[in-house]
Amino acid sequence: MLAQIMEFLGTALTVILFALRVLIPVLSLVVLWRCFVSLRRGRRREDPVILLEEMTTHVKIPVLYWENSMGRSRSCDIVLPDNTASRDHAVLMRREAGWLITDTNSKAGTFVNGTKAAPTLSVMPGDVIAMGSTALMLKRTNEGDFKKKRTLFQSNRRLPSPLGLMSMVFLIQIFLAAQLCFGGEAFAWQPLIPFGALTVLEWGLYYYFMRVRNHVSFELETIGFLLSGIGIMLLAGADVKLAYTQLAAMAGGIILFCMLISFMGDLDRVTKWRIAIGLFAVALFAVNLAFGVASHGAKNWINLGPITVQPSEFIKIAFVFAGASTLDRLQTAKNLTEFLVFSGICIGSLFLMKDFGTASIFFITFLLISFMRSGSLRTVILACSAAALGAFMILQFKPYIADRFAAWRHVWEYSDGTGYQQTRVLSYTASGGLFGAGMGEGYLKNVFAGTSDLMFGMICEELGMVLAVVVTLCIVMLALYTKLDATRSRSTFYSIAACSAAGMLLFQAALNIFGATDVLPLTGVTLPFLSAGGSSMVSVWGLLAFMKASDERTYAARRKST
Amino acid sequence: MKTTGGRAGILYLMILGFFVGLGVFLFGFVKDGGAWAMQPFNKYASGDSQLTTAGDVLDRSGVVLAKSENGKRVYSSDETIRRAMLHAVGDTNGYISTGVQYRYRSEIGGYNPITGLTSPTGKKQGSDITLTLSSELSKLAYNKLDGRRGAVAMYNYKTGEMLVMVSTPDFDPANVPKDIDTNSKYEGAYLNKVLSASYTPGSIFKIVTTAAAIETLSDWDTKTFTCKGSTTINGNKITCDGVHGTINIKQALAKSCNVAFAQLAVELGEEKMTAEANTMGFNRSFSVDGIDTSKSKYDVKGAEKQALAWSGIGQHTDMTNPYHMMLLMGAIANDGTPVQPYFIKQIKNSLGIVQQQGKTELGTQLVKPTTAQTLEQLMRNNVTSDYGDDMFPGMSVCAKTGTAEVGGGKKPNGWMIGFSSDPTTPYAFAVVVEEGNYGRTSAGPIAKAIMTQAKKLGL
Repeated sequence: MLAQIMEFLGTALTVILFALRVLIPVLSLVVLWRCFVSLRRGRRREDPVILLEEMTTHVKIPVLYWENSMGRSRSCDIVLPDNTASRDHAVLMRREAGWLITDTNSKAGTFVNGTKAAPTLSVMPGDVIAMGSTALMLKRTNEGDFKKKRTLFQSNRRLPSPLGLMSMVFLIQIFLAAQLCFGGEAFAWQPLIPFGALTVLEWGLYYYFMRVRNHVSFELETIGFLLSGIGIMLLAGADVKLAYTQLAAMAGGIILFCMLISFMGDLDRVTKWRIAIGLFAVALFAVNLAFGVASHGAKNWINLGPITVQPSEFIKIAFVFAGASTLDRLQTAKNLTEFLVFSGICIGSLFLMKDFGTASIFFITFLLISFMRSGSLRTVILACSAAALGAFMILQFKPYIADRFAAWRHVWEYSDGTGYQQTRVLSYTASGGLFGAGMGEGYLKNVFAGTSDLMFGMICEELGMVLAVVVTLCIVMLALYTKLDATRSRSTFYSIAACSAAGMLLFQAALNIFGATDVLPLTGVTLPFLSAGGSSMVSVWGLLAFMKASDERTYAARRKST
Repeated sequence: MKTTGGRAGILYLMILGFFVGLGVFLFGFVKDGGAWAMQPFNKYASGDSQLTTAGDVLDRSGVVLAKSENGKRVYSSDETIRRAMLHAVGDTNGYISTGVQYRYRSEIGGYNPITGLTSPTGKKQGSDITLTLSSELSKLAYNKLDGRRGAVAMYNYKTGEMLVMVSTPDFDPANVPKDIDTNSKYEGAYLNKVLSASYTPGSIFKIVTTAAAIETLSDWDTKTFTCKGSTTINGNKITCDGVHGTINIKQALAKSCNVAFAQLAVELGEEKMTAEANTMGFNRSFSVDGIDTSKSKYDVKGAEKQALAWSGIGQHTDMTNPYHMMLLMGAIANDGTPVQPYFIKQIKNSLGIVQQQGKTELGTQLVKPTTAQTLEQLMRNNVTSDYGDDMFPGMSVCAKTGTAEVGGGKKPNGWMIGFSSDPTTPYAFAVVVEEGNYGRTSAGPIAKAIMTQAKKLGL
């Protein structure tokens, strides 16, 4: 009788844990959707804060962005129908100090109240800007100057509350912890330690940002915690030590996140430091090449006493810094030479380290940045052809590299050789079904690199395909958001940085997910936010800072509080 | 700013690419998830094999042919049944790719795309598969083969249920011989010869030649041939078992006169012969429960007269698949259009939900209805006038035997194919015994045994 009751209770517990695994992806999807809605609705209305009045015709031109290109070209934000004006004549920018105008090597020059801008002058409302034969007066907007546009996302419905969203993430993490504590034969208390640490970290940051710094938004951090939380709890089920490392890395990542946001608050400072950051990155690669240790084929690690770090992860951040640029610099320094050389050094170093996965991530990011800066498809095609040629040459002279990819799309024929990892991922992914076998119950964690390169498979196996898809959607959402809000940031620097960071994460996620599942060749990169890997975790939070910085509310709120 | 915002659209391209990749992966997951999961290395399903927690395989009357017990795959306690049913059930390692344990490994292993190999209640159980085959009849067929290589197939041509599907050589799945891959005794043991082998047909092919004559020659029933024991075509001598004298097609079929059919084939010509063979299912594959059968082959393209003559008596390069012959018999019995045979009666999962149910369906027409009726009479005459109706008492069997020369110093393969035209015993069969010599004495007794027993069991 007692045995029967115990068996019934055991079955009931299993069913409850299964039900929670159904609930976790549903809640995650809700969090994702609400965060997206909040990001879209919370942004500023697209109403001009200031306008320019043509002095002869008295036509009022709205100034829509924080940085506005002015000139004859139709692609300018403010088009000057004036033959004496240059195609890209000047840039009108809003900075902390007020409005500035920078002449971008125009023929006729730019004048504010008769003073020539060489190249930058500040502009106050009432000042007259002269360019060629056009004269414009900067004016504050009055109510009714322009018709208010209403779009879908700017309705007056209430925004999702940041506290509510974070609470939902916390609830998901409670469910995850429950999976770990009750999943085994007997109640396990060990998973409560990483769970507790995670709780302290996320609510600590929430308190600091929302209460101390009075930020108005927390969506990106919420997504970050949702993903990191899933990763950390999965690692706790595999090996609790991995979870501790991951938590420590996340703490480091959060600190980096805060530092970067505050560092990027002042664009002049960023501009000053750009070269230094680039040089530092090159130096770091040099150190890596000189003192690096090889780990499983790629020499991309440095031993720092008790810890080993992967410098290339941090160089990702430097790469974005070096690539992004403010609009006035984009207009004046049109060639990409400097960035091209820098990218060449980075990608070349990674090739020497035999870290082809990271090299391709840098390459794609390079394409993304160079396209966003120049808009030139020719550059992109040229770079792609060069890369294809390079790849061809490498395969010609080093045919053994091709062997690495021999199993691609044929993994079942190599299931005990080079297709070993992929076949395990596919097999255990299918075994987990839509809702997973339960945390800590999986077998993929015992396969080599199961918790890092094959992390996607581990999510599928232990928590199910549905959650794995929701996780990928989170990363897609970051890219979608940065694209949609690209014109809303305070400078093209932020837009380019955010888009390239999001593109980088998306491509890295694609390499990880599709490499492990044999859609692409397996290259061994981490799944952002989720894979075990200290350097990767720190770097991902660093990259998230670029997206956060591109949200103009991040700094708007800060000014309010100081 | 506007321009930068526009250029950021390149991210859409990346997102699109990402979704394409995700689509490829999810498509594979839905389509091949079962195959991905059912791997020998998969620890959810493994122990000594992937069938540790699998469901049962049962015969038509519920006899357990295979089940999983304490992490092991256990087969019937009767060794003869284990061997007779081997190719239908399959082995534990999945080397017999046409066996249900391999083909339905994901169902039997309890895989479904919703919960994978896990279970919401923690209790894993695979689906049970019930076959239409009779282990009793199969055992009889196996015993009658008596260690010789060959294939025996029988089905109910009214319902489509396959009753016997035995292939030899075989092995005992409960005690797989260590030398299975090296000993020539086991050559072809992983092959289900009913479905996946083709043999030289010999005289059973004369049914096709006869059908071509019926449909081509208006005077086919009055036409006669002269048999002097042999004939020479293009300098190539074709011999007969006897001297049949003046003989018409009906008699020639019953006596299996090579001379008559060789001349008939030459007279009909390449085109008519090929057309008839193709209509009757040669040069194409059939599908039974999703398994594609081995093709029967008839190819006389550009052949010389003597080759055409040999092809008309089932030699030359002619090949036939036992399943196809059984199907052809079913077609003739059923006015030209066979009922589609099947051997999976039902697949039912642990929750009692039926995932697959065998049902009676018509296949494609293989013989014209009038030709089928004529062939039925001719084949009935074979039995009554020549083989002896007491071979199949009370069943009105129509049949044709064959003795196929295979060369290479081997004895001929013996064939017998046929069906009962009695509606109370609607069975069609095809039996082939490798190196069995005369079809009537090698394949005949096996056909006799299973037909008689099937009638007795009232299947």
